Amino acid sequence: MSTTVPATTTELLQRLQRLLRWRLWIREKIQLTEWQVTLLWAALAGFLGAMASMIFSVLAEGVHEFMTGRTSGVVESMRQLPWWGCLLVPTLGGAAAGLVLLYGSRLTRSESSTDYMEAIVIGNGRVPVRSSLVKTTAALFSIGSGGSIGREGPMVQISSVVASLVGRWRNFTGPQLRLLVACGASAGIASAYNAPIAGSFFVAEIILGTIAMESLGPLAVSAVVATLTIRVLTAAQVLYKVPPFQLNSPWEMGPYVLLGLLAGGLAPVFLRSLKQAEEFFISLRLPLVARLALGGLLVGVIAINVPEVCGNGYTVVVDILNGRLLWTVLLGIFACKWLATMSSFGSGAPGGVFTPSLFMGASLGYLFGIGVHRIWPAAAVDPGAFALVGMGAFLSAASRAPVMAVIMLFEMTLSYDIILPLMLCNVIAYYTAKGVAGESLYSASLRRKAAAEPAATLAAARVSDLIRADPPTIPPGAHFAEIAEKFLSVRVNNLYVCEADGKFLGAVSLHDIKPYLGQLDLAELVIARDIMREDFPRIGPDQSLSEALGRFLGLTSERLPVVGPETGRLMGSLAKGDLLLALVEKRRRPAA
Amino acid sequence: MLDLAVNSREAAICALHASLAQSPAVKDAPQFLHGLLERAMLAPVCIALDVALPHARTDAVERAVIGVARVAAPGVGFDAEHPAVRLIFMVGTPKPQVEEYLLTVAAITRTLKAPGVHDGLLAAKSEAEFTALLARGAKR
Repeated sequence: MSTTVPATTTELLQRLQRLLRWRLWIREKIQLTEWQVTLLWAALAGFLGAMASMIFSVLAEGVHEFMTGRTSGVVESMRQLPWWGCLLVPTLGGAAAGLVLLYGSRLTRSESSTDYMEAIVIGNGRVPVRSSLVKTTAALFSIGSGGSIGREGPMVQISSVVASLVGRWRNFTGPQLRLLVACGASAGIASAYNAPIAGSFFVAEIILGTIAMESLGPLAVSAVVATLTIRVLTAAQVLYKVPPFQLNSPWEMGPYVLLGLLAGGLAPVFLRSLKQAEEFFISLRLPLVARLALGGLLVGVIAINVPEVCGNGYTVVVDILNGRLLWTVLLGIFACKWLATMSSFGSGAPGGVFTPSLFMGASLGYLFGIGVHRIWPAAAVDPGAFALVGMGAFLSAASRAPVMAVIMLFEMTLSYDIILPLMLCNVIAYYTAKGVAGESLYSASLRRKAAAEPAATLAAARVSDLIRADPPTIPPGAHFAEIAEKFLSVRVNNLYVCEADGKFLGAVSLHDIKPYLGQLDLAELVIARDIMREDFPRIGPDQSLSEALGRFLGLTSERLPVVGPETGRLMGSLAKGDLLLALVEKRRRPAA
Repeated sequence: MLDLAVNSREAAICALHASLAQSPAVKDAPQFLHGLLERAMLAPVCIALDVALPHARTDAVERAVIGVARVAAPGVGFDAEHPAVRLIFMVGTPKPQVEEYLLTVAAITRTLKAPGVHDGLLAAKSEAEFTALLARGAKR
């Protein structure tokens, strides 16, 4: 209808308008939500975590080969070494780990000693890089030299560091960063045990204390990507190959109940003994290097006659599950492994006690199964099945994560036949352990840390703690065409309208303007002020998180503008995802 | 209103507003006028060389109101680029009704694009003919 614009120009404008409408439509259809973006970052954390874990494994094997001159497994190498070699290798490994920690401490004086769990639960998600690298390097020596300690701890730590670095690089908010570090931890566990579901549930149940989809989803994605990476690059398969087990008679459930009680009672004792060993080594007031060397030496002394105590116990567990060990021999190994783990852990050798816990559970279960079989054969037809269930029960009691323990056992063995006694035994062990000792190893450590660093334990309690700076804005005079272009360039569903001085006026919704994008005449007529919603919900920086949650109720928007109550100026935006994560964390944090 | 005799944008808006203010949907006529004038000063309200669409989203109206006027030739200047506006469509919508506002404005522009409507409105001899043309254009 315009009489001044030539027809060809009008057609061109109409085409451009159509193109704009299509672009906006396509962008809206394929636009990733904030949660989908989070999943992509989780996938990256999973991939990088798997790579980091794999590099750690290769390096640990390299250290082992260098120190023993053998490429076979830790137990086999120690079996082949002469007696003095059994003494020398763990002692030197302990000393080397001590030297790394000693000299590494000079590089990390300005850093906290925060590990990944602390960073997620009571920290800000920043896992210190240098101190983590120092600890991980030291762990290479303690693990490579045959220390009775698990490699999963350093693998999870290094995987979490990588995730933390990615989050810091992208300037993630506190809750986002903590979630990404949790994804790194999930990837580390999944990589170590080839168990993606258990990896997710380990972090969800033990660290985050929730299986809400807001956190479990990213954890699962990260774990799956990590496991796929490991499987593609290393052809990893099921961790423990076990013969088929079956529940031969309902009467067998009776002994399984007893096994649950036994594992639930013993796991806290095992954990307490590790703590006491740690206190004992500290009381010796030895220099760090000498203390770790002494721990290695004690392991070496035991290993001269019982090389099975070296390493995380994986090969011995495989032998137990397949019934290749005599119960009398296993009884000796069980006692010696306990002592060796106390020596390694107590002396401060960096590493994890997760896999040694599996060893203790398998041994306990097998010995118990043999005992029952001797007394009442029909109630324990296959003692190997008791070993499998014992692993899960001991892990459940030690970690206080019965769901994770059930899943992990299933994933590591792919033996579904054992699921009924496993579930029953895990739950009984969990409640027994809870009754015997109130805290798990993890929660006790976190509570101490929280008490030592009260500032770090303050959960995000106000909106101001979660503000994301610089949300996309438009001036009130922005024309319809400019608004459409802005929606194309940023991934939001609402553009905030602000004066030049930052005063918040309202928001223009993509939903409102979408049907009119093809209207050429509106492009210059309609401005932001005409179509902004002045009553768009907003929130103040000092409002509580529960108030913020109330504002989101009934609102489709994923973000709310944060507006200064006195100035009326836009300070940033609050993402619903950040809020939900912060609320979950707040509920979980340990009391100082 | 046909062949409105005014000599300025403000006079044209005031005249049409005075007529529209009679509607029971207008709760606060001065506030509505203020909103219309403020918006006209903020950014152009013309959708063609000789068509203006002064509008306001305001709490002064209870529901959407539309007023139409034809200015006597040679028209009235709304801004430098629109010196001879002949057709004026005035729109008022309640503040929360963003969708209704866009719907109304888009409907007016579509109506005017209907073949023969624009020229017919300029040539209409009576208000009845004028209204019928608008209704025909709206139906298309």
